[in-house]
Amino acid sequence: MKKLRIYNFNFAILVVTLICPENVLSELRIKGLSATRATLYDPSHDFTCLDGSEKIPFSYINDDYCDCKDGSDEPGTSACPNGMFFCRNIGYRSHYIPSSRVNDGICDCCDGSDEWATGTNCTNNCYELGASAREEAKEKHDIQQRGYQLKLQYSEQGKQSRKEKQEKFEILQRERSEIEAVKLEREALKEAAEIPEKEALEKHRAMEEEIRSQRQASEKQKRDEEALAAFEQLDSNQDGVLTSDEIMAKPIFDQNGDGLVSEEEAKFFLSGQTEMTREEFLNTGFVLMKPYLTHEEEVASPPPSSTVTPPAEGGELPEIPEGETDEEEEDFDHGEADHDDRTEDSEVLPVEETLPYDPETQKIVDEAKAARDAYNEADRRLREIERDLKNIEDSMKNDYGPEEEFSPLHGHCFEFTDREYTYKFCPFDYASQRPKHGGSETRLGQWGHWAGPENNKYSIMMLEKGVQCWNGPQRSCKVHFTCGVDNVIMSASEPNRCEYEMNFVTPTACAPPTGSPDDLLAHDEL
Amino acid sequence: MRLNRNCLFFILSFCYVKGVDKGNFKSCEQSSFCKRHRATRETPSAYIADLKSLSLHKERAFIDVINVEANIPLTLEIIALHNYAFRIKIQEKNGLRKRYQVENALVREPETAPIILLEKKDDHIVLGLDAVNRMVIQGNPFRLDLFNKDGHVITMNGRGMFKFEHYRTRKTLLGKAISKVAEVVGSSGSLTHRLASWIGNLLSSPEEIPMEHNPETDSQIEPLDAEEVQQTSEEPPAEVPVNNDAEETEPGMWEEDYKSHHDSKPYGPSSFGVDLSFPGSNHVYGIPEHADSLALRDTLNGDPYRLYNLDVFEYELWSPMALYGAIPFVMAKGKEGAVGVYWQNAAETWVDVRDVPGGGVVSSLMKLVSGGASEPGPHKEVHFISESGLMDVFFLLGPGPKDVLQQYTGLTGVTPLPQMFAIAYHQCRWNYNDQEDVQFVHENFDKEDMPLDVIWLDIEHTDNKKYFTWDPIKFSDSLGMMKNLSDKGRKLVTIVDPHIKRDSNYFIHKDCEANGFYIKDTNGKDFEGWCWPGSSSYPDFFNPAVREYWKEQYAFDKYHGTTKDVYIWNDMNEPSVFNGPEVTMHKDKLHHGGWEHRDVHNIYGMLVVDSTFQGLMARGENKLRPFILSRSFFAGSQRYGAIWTGDNGAEWGHLQVSIPMVLSLSIAGMAFTGGDVGGFFKNPETDLLIRWYQAGAYQPFFRAHAHEQTRRREPYLYDETTKDIIRQAIRQRYALLPYWYTLFYENEKTGIPPMRPLWLEYPKDSDTFALDDVYLLGDSLLVRPVTESKATSVKVYFPSDESAMTIWYDVETYETFTGRGYKSIEVDMYKIPVFQRGGSIIPKKLRPRRSSVLMQHDPYTLVVALDEEGKASGTLYIDDGESFDYREGKYVYGHLDYQRGKLSFRFLDAGRYSDASWVERIIVAGLRLKPHKIFAQIQGTKDHVELDFKYEAKMHILTIRKPKLPMNYEWHLQFY
Repeated sequence: MKKLRIYNFNFAILVVTLICPENVLSELRIKGLSATRATLYDPSHDFTCLDGSEKIPFSYINDDYCDCKDGSDEPGTSACPNGMFFCRNIGYRSHYIPSSRVNDGICDCCDGSDEWATGTNCTNNCYELGASAREEAKEKHDIQQRGYQLKLQYSEQGKQSRKEKQEKFEILQRERSEIEAVKLEREALKEAAEIPEKEALEKHRAMEEEIRSQRQASEKQKRDEEALAAFEQLDSNQDGVLTSDEIMAKPIFDQNGDGLVSEEEAKFFLSGQTEMTREEFLNTGFVLMKPYLTHEEEVASPPPSSTVTPPAEGGELPEIPEGETDEEEEDFDHGEADHDDRTEDSEVLPVEETLPYDPETQKIVDEAKAARDAYNEADRRLREIERDLKNIEDSMKNDYGPEEEFSPLHGHCFEFTDREYTYKFCPFDYASQRPKHGGSETRLGQWGHWAGPENNKYSIMMLEKGVQCWNGPQRSCKVHFTCGVDNVIMSASEPNRCEYEMNFVTPTACAPPTGSPDDLLAHDEL
Repeated sequence: MRLNRNCLFFILSFCYVKGVDKGNFKSCEQSSFCKRHRATRETPSAYIADLKSLSLHKERAFIDVINVEANIPLTLEIIALHNYAFRIKIQEKNGLRKRYQVENALVREPETAPIILLEKKDDHIVLGLDAVNRMVIQGNPFRLDLFNKDGHVITMNGRGMFKFEHYRTRKTLLGKAISKVAEVVGSSGSLTHRLASWIGNLLSSPEEIPMEHNPETDSQIEPLDAEEVQQTSEEPPAEVPVNNDAEETEPGMWEEDYKSHHDSKPYGPSSFGVDLSFPGSNHVYGIPEHADSLALRDTLNGDPYRLYNLDVFEYELWSPMALYGAIPFVMAKGKEGAVGVYWQNAAETWVDVRDVPGGGVVSSLMKLVSGGASEPGPHKEVHFISESGLMDVFFLLGPGPKDVLQQYTGLTGVTPLPQMFAIAYHQCRWNYNDQEDVQFVHENFDKEDMPLDVIWLDIEHTDNKKYFTWDPIKFSDSLGMMKNLSDKGRKLVTIVDPHIKRDSNYFIHKDCEANGFYIKDTNGKDFEGWCWPGSSSYPDFFNPAVREYWKEQYAFDKYHGTTKDVYIWNDMNEPSVFNGPEVTMHKDKLHHGGWEHRDVHNIYGMLVVDSTFQGLMARGENKLRPFILSRSFFAGSQRYGAIWTGDNGAEWGHLQVSIPMVLSLSIAGMAFTGGDVGGFFKNPETDLLIRWYQAGAYQPFFRAHAHEQTRRREPYLYDETTKDIIRQAIRQRYALLPYWYTLFYENEKTGIPPMRPLWLEYPKDSDTFALDDVYLLGDSLLVRPVTESKATSVKVYFPSDESAMTIWYDVETYETFTGRGYKSIEVDMYKIPVFQRGGSIIPKKLRPRRSSVLMQHDPYTLVVALDEEGKASGTLYIDDGESFDYREGKYVYGHLDYQRGKLSFRFLDAGRYSDASWVERIIVAGLRLKPHKIFAQIQGTKDHVELDFKYEAKMHILTIRKPKLPMNYEWHLQFY
């Protein structure tokens, strides 16, 4: 290919001329210059470099030697390292290329004008490019128009939403002061109702206690009597001492079912001894032997009557805190529970003895409960209101754009799946990544701020403080907003370790369309 | 690019912070043979040379050398070589086992020269190349002394450190049995090894099963043998001492453990070492690769320098620790001259360096033979210690440093002229993710008008680390990607590592397994290690069939999706074995011919590259010059392409050490080297990155590279100022490509590297002998890159000829600096302190392009910097930049000369290249008087063309405007 290079300028010009006969005139123009700049080059005078640094004969213009520091004497060659070559590209967009691309064997201008000396076979495809660019521009324009209409709707919604929030906020604020008053009032009522309740309950409990101890005493007596009767029955020789012989004589003590009561078995019942006094029997022996005795008697004592459960004592229930409990509270609760467990273990609970309230006490207790319920209700409502207020306040603090156009995105999430991961982006909330084939979701960041350049702040949404990378920084995610008709994530990647990027197409990024699509093809002749 | 296994799997965070884990690599103390040799200190030599045994042939002589303590005869062979060098070989006279003679390092069998018996006395013999360059062999104690025109320059065994551990049988009945078996079966082949190793293990630890032995596979050893062994081993260990030699029982001689790894050492000790002193030399250089100063330091109070190719994670600076490559060559620099020693051995080698205070070296005998030489003053001594193989030493007698380099590269070869793109700018990263990423990167270079020639793809581009394949999704259209690169004159380099994924669906693995191409375990099975792909095996490149196979894999119809613009990177070729001892291959693993890995370790990496080189030659029908980058290397690796300094870090210290590292490689024959620009590990601060680009632009191999876990740092990502500074640095490189290219061509012809320590050009200036921050490119550019953070000025050492005051011109401002010594130079962020020597002419191309290929036809600018006498000269080499046509004479190599108002260009030889470009500008700096007129005459024409020019009287700078001189003709200009 390199061997094909022909350093014949005339030939090159001829070719260009033949291709574009209508541009013969333009060949008189200085190569690589735009029409606007051409006025600065006057063949009838010496040329002063545009930076004023040097004055040279006009013949030095485009003579393939760099005379001016600013490259202005060689607009059409590669001689100056900092020059610019103007591609006219009729039919397409004109633009400048660095002079490093002139005559390097690669066609950079679509009209091929940059390869005027190398014999590189460039085809002029400006018209094709122009046509497809116009097509593209039209499409883009169309999208922009439709997108912008949607953006206006979003903006409308956003403003409406802000208005509603504001109104809601005010209503809630009013409600809050009302409910605060109610709460105070009810608190007083509650405290007032709890004083008589406390007294009545104390009295009630004392009564219960008394009944309970009476019942315990009578039960003990009953048991002792039962034991004594058994002792008498077992003590065959009635000498007041139970011996192993006496035990062995009672087949009911045959534990292993061999038909005999062995000495060992007897010893077991006598707590390892050979004999047992009446007193010892009352304390220990009876407990061991009772199941066997009962068995023998076959006459089961009637099952203990189920005790009547008194109505629930609302006031005694631990209060369930509403909303979030902070850790301290949890710890505290937990500690108490432990403590309760220990008491349960160390003391044998007395048989649950409850006594129904008398009608008067019942009334007092009911009244107190009602007061408490009323207070709790007010308290809960207040917290609800405060939570709602905070949410509204937070959301009103979000920067939804100058026209509130981003507001409707809040509360929606968008997903994108590539080869390995499903990415999720919830504007004003968070971004995450989840392996496609199972595995847990990883937070890439939470809503931080708008991070676009100064003149286009809303073009990038920054989500930060994601899950920390192993041995690395906290993850973060940059979402680039570009104009489109639908809200779609077009791509997601991790260009730097733990720094993610997404391209999000959305109507919110559509600027108001200006003029006709052709304006997008504006010539850059400066 | 590389994390070692430990870091990958266990303690990444630790490694990341702490850098090299010294505990993963042996110290001399932990390497039993090194320890034994170091302990030889200061004892009278146990060796005598039996001078009566001299047998003299035309070009070689043989003398017996006897270990008087063990009464073991050795043979010393002395070979006289062409071009002022002696070679000696020492091995057992009747060895139990053949020693490994390094192959592939020498470019060819060296040309021998007649040997002259100059003197034969009872106590010494003098053999000469001529009357001056000679070797004195002293009988008792055994010692060699070498002389050149400067006098006594090298002594071997002057301090009696020579120690040669002969092959022996283990002193047990069983040991004898083994050697018997060995005799019967023959010394090569894995059976003997298996047996020997297995029995050795049984003996050493009867109760333990050695870790690396799988009971299942062990049981496959022939039952008869096993039975015999079992029976024998039940008897109490019967030591039958031959003598009371204590060394026989030293630990580590018959087996050695390091961490969890066992070295079975079935053949026992086989190491050797000797001291080499250089009377008159206060500096020694060489034995790369170490992250250390160019001038080797005294190692008395630490570890010796180590030569053992290793994959070191985050290596330590200013350390004698072993790195990725090994070249056992030292150059000793005397007051004026220099000599060299090439210790041709591929086994693990340690080199102690000592500053000898002086005196005591010259015996009375020496005084006699050297004509009354005086006691040498303080000088340098080195002590080479190798674990196995043949003792094969070349003494290169100089007498100048360039002579030594020519002698050394005459033996081991030179770097063939690279393609132009190879010396341009390379952009690498672990990893460019997919073909779109590749496209994105080079488009952005274009957007910023930054030149770029090569994009690199690291391991992730493959289909699951199966080399010679592409990830089918990320690189679904590699040919399309290649077309986009090729259209801009760009190339691609893909990585091909020598560890092969053990995947039964992988064609390379299938072939290697089926053909027995892998390195073998002690039990004869394919060795399996762990590397990037997971379980991997390693082709045995010592097998010629493997090399042939590897070569074939590069064919375009085998390595699918590649084109002529794809070149190769061989990494991890130490070899790196994540779960092996010191992250490499076990020493008792077996190679083709029955050699243990111990014998050949340091040469493995070079053989990988050799095969790749042959592959790239073959795929393009020997038309295009190959380009290969390797991490591991050995003496001779320069013949295959470039190497880089491995996995450095983004720290100023790493930038600083890159200079002595590249210099050290350069003077050991490796002409084409550089470090990762920006630092591989960690993220460079912007100013460090800038300074690194500036330094890298002036080192032979110029590639930016970065670790997977670093931030992207392609230069187009930075702010406008930074982009501009880096753009300028890269453009300076491209502007100087004609000069670099000429230097590489001259390197192929002479072996003198493009990047040179100052003393190579100023051998008498002793102030240059220990400089690590300044160097020369060719003999015309002095470079002192800024390698210090926040520097506003740097001290530059300007060397000077003794006879005349050398003038140095700042290449940007033409400010001059005259005379020898340090000058402080102010630097802003743009400044790269580079100076052109007065008396030189440097060719440049000042038109920036997207890639070097696109510059091929651009015109030259010649910069003539006049010396004190108003003279200057230089050379320029031109060819097509890519093919081997230059070897058919299609090139121009010309001499540019200016004196007395006449600038001429004359061809230096018969090469002709019709497509050479033209001269657009000539700058003459230091011209005191403005010429009235300048005429050009092109040879073959009668026209005298008057030229335009401009003269800046204040700066004495003449610029000739557009002389349009064609470089495919001779021409001259006359100034009137």
